[in-house]
Amino acid sequence: MNDKIDTPDMMIYAMASEIENFDTVLHGVSSPLPILAMSVARKTHAPDMAYISGSEGVDPELDRIYPSSFDARLNRNAVAYFGLHEAFDLAQRGELNVMFLGAAQVDLYGNTNLSVIGDVNRPKVQLPGGAASAFLMPITPKVVIWVTRQSSRVFVEEVDFVTGQGYNHRTDELKKNEIVIISNLGIMNFKNPDRLMQIQYYHPGHSVDEIQENTGFDILVAPDVSEYPVPRPDIIKLINQIDPDGIRRSEFR
Amino acid sequence: MKKVLTGLQEASGLVEDGALVTFGGATFSRVPMEFVRELVRQGKKDLNLVDREPAMDFDLLIGAGCVAKVRAGMVAFEVFGMAPNFRKKSESGELVTKEGACQPIIAGFRAAAMGLPSLPVKGMLGSDLLTISEVIGSQKEIQDPFTGETMIAVRAIEPDVAIIHAQKADEFGNIRIEGPFYEDVIKAKAAKKVVVTVEELISNTEIRKMPQATTIPHFIVDAVVETPKGAYPCSCFNYYDVDYDHIKQYLKAAAKDQFEHYLDKFVYGREIE
Repeated sequence: MNDKIDTPDMMIYAMASEIENFDTVLHGVSSPLPILAMSVARKTHAPDMAYISGSEGVDPELDRIYPSSFDARLNRNAVAYFGLHEAFDLAQRGELNVMFLGAAQVDLYGNTNLSVIGDVNRPKVQLPGGAASAFLMPITPKVVIWVTRQSSRVFVEEVDFVTGQGYNHRTDELKKNEIVIISNLGIMNFKNPDRLMQIQYYHPGHSVDEIQENTGFDILVAPDVSEYPVPRPDIIKLINQIDPDGIRRSEFR
Repeated sequence: MKKVLTGLQEASGLVEDGALVTFGGATFSRVPMEFVRELVRQGKKDLNLVDREPAMDFDLLIGAGCVAKVRAGMVAFEVFGMAPNFRKKSESGELVTKEGACQPIIAGFRAAAMGLPSLPVKGMLGSDLLTISEVIGSQKEIQDPFTGETMIAVRAIEPDVAIIHAQKADEFGNIRIEGPFYEDVIKAKAAKKVVVTVEELISNTEIRKMPQATTIPHFIVDAVVETPKGAYPCSCFNYYDVDYDHIKQYLKAAAKDQFEHYLDKFVYGREIE
């Protein structure tokens, strides 16, 4: 049954589906979901993708994940080391195809905030920081933002601070890339002429209404909105194999 | 070559109050934690810390009152959540936090390593982080003289001291790093002074058998300190893994207002295996 699918597993499946075969994909820090998504993609529809771990291993044979996304055990049997500065060089060449980034706030235009709530010089809430967001968001062909707890406080009309650039903070030439937002409730994109956030899919067991109720602005609905497909049992099994301790659930508590 | 082998206390003397300091490794991997604890024991003040994705090293020094300023792409404890002292002191105004982004920080180190005043990067345009950086004077929009393309010039970051934890070195400061390098080699080349703590000393004869493994040669290293378990509770590849339980214990102490107790036990009391 649909409602038996764990939210993290649903999100991992949706995130994996954003990767195409032969893509070059990097994961960053604090990234259990991206690591699992990359692992699922590689074992299913994207066997020829290039997998660059945040701890520099290329195409490692990942047997399990750890609380740190830089744990050197994630590099087991890698074919090479490729440093972050080299991966960033690749991004500047336009050859890093997909990047997964987090967000504490995301807005109507696709801006993300991971920096501060309130005044930047005397923050009400100091957030961890955007890591590579401001660098990679405008130059990576596909940016996937994952949000584990969609609510009207997280999905706001305008972010308090623009860490990662949405479409209204970009030049025309930097508007071409694709931002996809995958939340615990559904999948949002900006595939409309005004580049405004729209609901493209709702996860099984959820609805357009529920997404609208948990968004802090009037969110558009794509004309072809639909329910996202349920992941196959072998995909769920694979996720459990790589994450037997449920580290992926830490972001949902 | 001259011998640079010294003790932890002597090496920490290279870090002056107010110095711009960076540490090797990333989050919980190969971070020079024993040297960090020594900085706390020596009562260093007003340090100016810079790194791309630090975690416990920055947070411990901040909590112990050694830090005035932080510049980082992200300061967090990965899946365990926020860096408690970093958050607390940023919000109380005791700490000046100037967030960067990973690429400009790495580019700043690279510029310094290359002997350049700045290095251009892509991205950043439109982010409020760029606006802040322009105010501080660490990044600036420029046009490429050949194509006219808009880029961001990042000012070189030349730390007063870079402290790195590595697996092996000889007494002259020829350093072998095993596993991922992170930006350690770049940082060593960028900094004015370089301190390397190592798990194990090996002979110069041994070093000469595999020169390609020496990623940091002796002439850029100022001090080597034999420091087994020097990254603990962070990991040191080929030697030991992260002690996640210890990291949870640290966070628990900070959350329960028992951070002083943590410092007494593990930093001043040296109750670390």
